[in-house]
Amino acid sequence: MKRKHIQHLYRRVGFGILPNELDKLSKMKRKEVVANLFKASKNVTPLELDTTELKSLMGTSYMMAKDNIRDIQKLSRESTQKLNRAWIERLTNPTELLREKMTLFWANHFVCEDNNYVYTQNFHNTLRQHALGNFRAFVVAISKQAAMTKYLNTKQNKKQKPNENFARELMELFTLGVGNYTEQDIKESAKAFTGYSHNMQGDFVFRRRVHHEGTKTFFGKSGNFNGEDIIDIILEKRRCAQYISEKVYRYFVNDTINKAHVEAMTDAFYKDYNIEKLMRFVCLSDWFYNEENIGTKIKSPIEFLVGIKTLVPTEFKNQKQLMYLQRLMGQILLDPPNVAGWKGGQNWIDSNTIALRLKLPSLLLNSSYISKSKKGQTDARIKERKQFFKKNYGKWFNVENNWGYFEKQFKNVAMNELDNHILACNISPNAQAYLNSLEKVSKQEYCVQLMSLPEYQMC
Amino acid sequence: MDRRKFLKQSSLASSLFFVPSFVKAFENVASSSLGYKRLVIIQLSGGNDGLNTVVPFENDLYYKERPSLSIAKGDVLKLTDEIGLHPSLAPLNRLYDKGLLTIINNVGYPNPNRSHFRSMDIWQTAVDSDEYSQSGWIGRYIDNYGDAPYTAIEINESLSLAMKGETKNAIATQDAKSLFNLSRDPYFKNLQGHKNDTHLSEHNLGYLYKSMIEAHSSAKYIYETSKTVSAKKEYPKNKFGKQLKTTAQFINSHLETKVYYASLNGFDTHVNQLPTQKRLLSQYAEGIETFVQDLKAGGTFDDTLILTFSEFGRRVKQNASVGTDHGTANNLFIIGNQLRKPGLYNKMANLSDLDGNGDLKFEIDFRTIYATVLNKWLEVNDKKILNKSFKQLNFI
Repeated sequence: MKRKHIQHLYRRVGFGILPNELDKLSKMKRKEVVANLFKASKNVTPLELDTTELKSLMGTSYMMAKDNIRDIQKLSRESTQKLNRAWIERLTNPTELLREKMTLFWANHFVCEDNNYVYTQNFHNTLRQHALGNFRAFVVAISKQAAMTKYLNTKQNKKQKPNENFARELMELFTLGVGNYTEQDIKESAKAFTGYSHNMQGDFVFRRRVHHEGTKTFFGKSGNFNGEDIIDIILEKRRCAQYISEKVYRYFVNDTINKAHVEAMTDAFYKDYNIEKLMRFVCLSDWFYNEENIGTKIKSPIEFLVGIKTLVPTEFKNQKQLMYLQRLMGQILLDPPNVAGWKGGQNWIDSNTIALRLKLPSLLLNSSYISKSKKGQTDARIKERKQFFKKNYGKWFNVENNWGYFEKQFKNVAMNELDNHILACNISPNAQAYLNSLEKVSKQEYCVQLMSLPEYQMC
Repeated sequence: MDRRKFLKQSSLASSLFFVPSFVKAFENVASSSLGYKRLVIIQLSGGNDGLNTVVPFENDLYYKERPSLSIAKGDVLKLTDEIGLHPSLAPLNRLYDKGLLTIINNVGYPNPNRSHFRSMDIWQTAVDSDEYSQSGWIGRYIDNYGDAPYTAIEINESLSLAMKGETKNAIATQDAKSLFNLSRDPYFKNLQGHKNDTHLSEHNLGYLYKSMIEAHSSAKYIYETSKTVSAKKEYPKNKFGKQLKTTAQFINSHLETKVYYASLNGFDTHVNQLPTQKRLLSQYAEGIETFVQDLKAGGTFDDTLILTFSEFGRRVKQNASVGTDHGTANNLFIIGNQLRKPGLYNKMANLSDLDGNGDLKFEIDFRTIYATVLNKWLEVNDKKILNKSFKQLNFI
């Protein structure tokens, strides 16, 4: 498989690939590379913290939990922040690379958040468990998650007083997209989801007494439907397979939909709603490796941050700063803006985020320093400048870098080959002309220069 | 000459312009008159308890529902025979006495949502409570009527949804210098080159380059324009005071910014509300009074309107922790010296007619206030921004 194509594949289904691994894979065929990728993601490794204390505070009923509610909330807040950090670590050092990237994708599809950590963790691992599984089972599992029944008020959905929130978002955001159902469809399907609830520990509970028993007419069909029936009827619509294919395409392939490619994906997916097969179809398609799809997407803040950490291992000494950084860049994991999730693409970028993103590699990795030595000159002031920064601003970015790791990984990569590894797209002519006028002081300094280009924001 | 004036006057010779983007600008300016009006939005985050802010001190129900959380009749700052302000709001009371404050009671929206995040989203995006929008109302104002990112500035480290448009975004800055420092490395300037940048038209990469150039010039513009002016008044020493000080500095330096956004957090008073709200309201009122004085000294108060809101009010009945839970309708403050109806705009909520949760029923949709501010103050087509037609009120 072509190196360029392997890099593309790994930038989209992961966060980039390092030279040694790339060398190894370049000797294989595309089919093998892709097969390995999927094989490596067979397992599911949940991301879990110890919740013993929290669970005992919660007890088995609301009456028991009530007195501990402040402690539960406080511990939940702390744990959610821990999970945030653990998730970023997981993304940086994944075993099941594709599954992890898919989990990140689904977290912005089945968008949810909760202030109870036990529910948050359950929900989070549900995403991971079904990330490459069957979409029907996935939707069913999501509809029964405690966090979701809270987030979209299915819990309050009772036969006497239906709450349509979940039914609406199920169709608008999770399966069909806006405009593919009527208000009447929402009203009728909401009835089918009445009675969905959970117990204190977060297990699904079906409250028969508040469930609407009776005929519902949904998408032209009538019957005493329950929630799973509704999901089945939705999935019968090819539009559902198409909607998911579009979303996968925009996330993994290109912001701009190519109708023919999405149609092909839809055909593949509609057969049995197998997510793994859909992804395999994409990764094996020739069009996935078309020029117009390579290096043309804007990295999400998490892709950007994890990409940096993959290249040069970077540990935040002050974990609050990692949180703060996510906030500044506009994407805090486990804290989505609303049920529609992050818009992505160009919406990641505004004046503030672009200024920060361009400066961030040098801030995190190089004491804020970007070498500007002219060709043929040594960088005499490099040391003192870096020291000045460390002394004055170092506390804002209290991180530890492992440039030794980078040096080792890139030992056999020539200086003039570095850009092919660091950047996903070609360098624009003006930037190239400027870089040519500068001295390549060292691999580290050149790497920081490359990472400080707008081109580095692309994947 | 400011850009509006320039466009207006040059529209007389519009045949000189062939550039399509100007055509759009003309369209938008055509219907509106001149003047450089600014809007300052203050967000009280967490849900300020409106009932203890503007107090119905002759209402028995109020005292009955809040046995240990009410403001005693003798403590309120009386505005009328029945209504008074929280004792921490003396500075606001002075603005009221000068006719610079309009209090709009009972502001909310249909089918209220009691989640902070959701309700704040609804206020910031100005859509119905069962709709989701990924752009804010000020963001859409910039989409349609703004030229530069600094058309709207949020005094914060990052942008609120309110300030994000479909195609354009506002700028966020806590102080002009740090943003400038972030973008000023000559390395970035040199990447741009001097030649005509053909790659700027490239889809995503071009967008990044354009954003980089824009960010740099905005940061430089804000920094260099605002550094010539310093505060003329002593602000309270807290975060909110600092935000207002920066805002006044920007306004008094005549930045070409139409909307400023600041916020004061911590109003989520479920537990032991009295001391918390007391502290926050005095931070608010003291800050605002200084701000108004500073703008007056800078000669910019006449053209500035200040709107203060919170995502919801709180439940009428106090809870078991001497606090209040999330509620619905709330009061909203308009400050300026071109008010058509200073004082109390409308009656307070009827405490004997509550909804099923024991919350106030709203009377005025907050979007009628937005529509009025957009139309009568910022002089733009409010329907274009709110995607719907709302009634115009007559407070300005």
